[in-house]
Amino acid sequence: MSTPPTTGPAAGRGMWRVVAEREVSTQVRSKAFLIQSGLLLVGLIGMVVLYTFLGDREQTSTVGVVDEISATAVDEASAIARSTDDNAVLEATRYDDVAAAEDAVLAGDVDAALLPAASGEGYELVGEDGVSPTITQSVTAAVSQLVTTANAAEQDVDLAALVSGADVGQRLLDPDADDANLRQAASFIFVLLFYVTALTFGLTIAGSVTQEKESRVVEILAASVPIRALLWGKIAGASVLAIGQTVVLALAGVIGLVATGNLDALGVIGPAIGWYVVFFVLGFVTLASLWSVAGALASRQQDLGGATAPLQILLFAPYLIAVTAGEGVRTVVSMLPVVSTMLMPARLAEGDVPAWQLAVAIVVTLLAAVLFVRLGARVYENNLLRTGNRISFREAWARRSPADA
Amino acid sequence: MLQAQSLSRTFGTLTAVDDVSFHVRPGRMTGFVGANGAGKTTTMRMLMGVLAPSSGSVTWNGSPVGAEDRRDFGYMPEERGLYPRMKLAEQLSYFARLHGFSRKGALSRADELLGFFGLEERRDDLLDNLSLGNQQRVQIAAALIHRPTALVLDEPFSGLDPLAVDAMVDLLQREAADVPVLFSSHQLELVERLCDDLVILSGGRVVAAGSVDELRSESEERYRVVLNGQDAAWLRDLRDVRVDDVDGSTALLTLDGLEAADLTRTVVERGPVLEVARVRQPLSEIFREVTR
Repeated sequence: MSTPPTTGPAAGRGMWRVVAEREVSTQVRSKAFLIQSGLLLVGLIGMVVLYTFLGDREQTSTVGVVDEISATAVDEASAIARSTDDNAVLEATRYDDVAAAEDAVLAGDVDAALLPAASGEGYELVGEDGVSPTITQSVTAAVSQLVTTANAAEQDVDLAALVSGADVGQRLLDPDADDANLRQAASFIFVLLFYVTALTFGLTIAGSVTQEKESRVVEILAASVPIRALLWGKIAGASVLAIGQTVVLALAGVIGLVATGNLDALGVIGPAIGWYVVFFVLGFVTLASLWSVAGALASRQQDLGGATAPLQILLFAPYLIAVTAGEGVRTVVSMLPVVSTMLMPARLAEGDVPAWQLAVAIVVTLLAAVLFVRLGARVYENNLLRTGNRISFREAWARRSPADA
Repeated sequence: MLQAQSLSRTFGTLTAVDDVSFHVRPGRMTGFVGANGAGKTTTMRMLMGVLAPSSGSVTWNGSPVGAEDRRDFGYMPEERGLYPRMKLAEQLSYFARLHGFSRKGALSRADELLGFFGLEERRDDLLDNLSLGNQQRVQIAAALIHRPTALVLDEPFSGLDPLAVDAMVDLLQREAADVPVLFSSHQLELVERLCDDLVILSGGRVVAAGSVDELRSESEERYRVVLNGQDAAWLRDLRDVRVDDVDGSTALLTLDGLEAADLTRTVVERGPVLEVARVRQPLSEIFREVTR
């Protein structure tokens, strides 16, 4: 004999956990969920890899040399080149004589060769039909520096005194501008990711509610547990899945950036990723109860499109704003509930956001979440056991009177 | 004891259930019969609390039924409802867990009930892949999963072959022998065979309620008399008796004041008799009488 059920006041309580558990275990085994998660993961990692390859690949140029001084000059040139282009690297390749170096240039083994000038005075850069500006500028500067230093020592001139005051320094007014591409890409990914995740999980919640109505299992459920426990269970189950997926994606993004050596990029958008998870939780829970309501308003799967339309618009509007709106509008609407989940992390990725704006966004979203969940629970309870046609929003709101249920 | 007290329910201008009162006693199978649209399903949904009554109330052991009481009831809705894409054992144990069973207890209870119907081999099949008859077995298992304190079953036997009906009745007797069981059905012979008590609904109102025996004795007493070869026509001359039919030496009559013992004596005095027997009125006849 198995354990008898616990009866009494505790029996109905905590049942939302059992409901949530079923939601999660059903979903994680569904092909649609696995495929969607897999695609998002592959897409995200693909973007990180793409970013690394396109943005961060080192452009190595090789320069043939025949003596030690030239080799030193190429090394120096590499440092000079890097100061203008992060990814430029110059490498020296030793050859036995001028003829061998020239052959290498012609064969394309090296991009250019730095050789003693045929006139016997100075050096010359030898290319096949041209020499890239990066090589020309950096090698010329390096050779001139080396030779100047050597000459100064020879002539007993104080080089430091000679060049004193000739330094041209750099002062950057917007040092982050360099990362603009990365920031914009990250902000776009946040907006898109929330849109996709909120929509798919939202439709999953609504679909699962409608399925229970359609298969009439809801009568048995309603006779077994409080209707509110069903609602809480659904919200909790879907939230766990959506948040779990988001955390996995966020981790994948972070690990991807670390693995590809983009630690500086991580420093730029890392905090935004953290905030994204926070805002995601708030935004998703706010919407979850509304999705359940949409599901309760439809009696069949065919009605689901119409019943969820307002929510799809609610999600698409901030998406449009995020992509198109100007600075001022974005700042204001980024503090609104749901919109904040898309826009705040995006703004954080693009630059600093004042702390008070973050606080306002969080408080407003929390208030909205409480309000929506309460309203949602009422409409859900009113309509879960109604069958027949799709229920209008006006009917749904009215307290269920015995005459028309 | 589960009791309906003056339950009424209107849908717009339609009165589906009108001042319905009856009780379902523990340890008794109560049949709930009535024509289509008589209000059986509406009444059962109100008993289970999935539909609010327009007026009237439901009591459980004498006091108004609470949500907690109802959760311990077992319910089989008219429109069957289970998860089509869920495995049998998983599905049944889910319902058990919703009733507070532990994970392990729920699974072993699910297997126990599946085993009773010989469905243990199919415990990991999806409900969708089962025949309709087997789906119905799972449905009744879902109603019994938590060892309910009362059972409300809407058409539990419809669509089942006689063997399946017997198996289901066995299960009900084993699992719910001492709780109140209310079940609706169109199959009057079945109700007659299974029921201890009867509630007959017509046009949303209770037209008869009580034990099957009571209902029978309320109706007129009919006897069949078979004489040994003689013509039975002379019985028409008896006083306080209404002869319904005479066919050769056999007569069908209704006592209209005459005592059964006196009838027997009178007939025997007249000549050799093969049979004087009370005719058990079939339920279908009672049904037709009260719903007329």
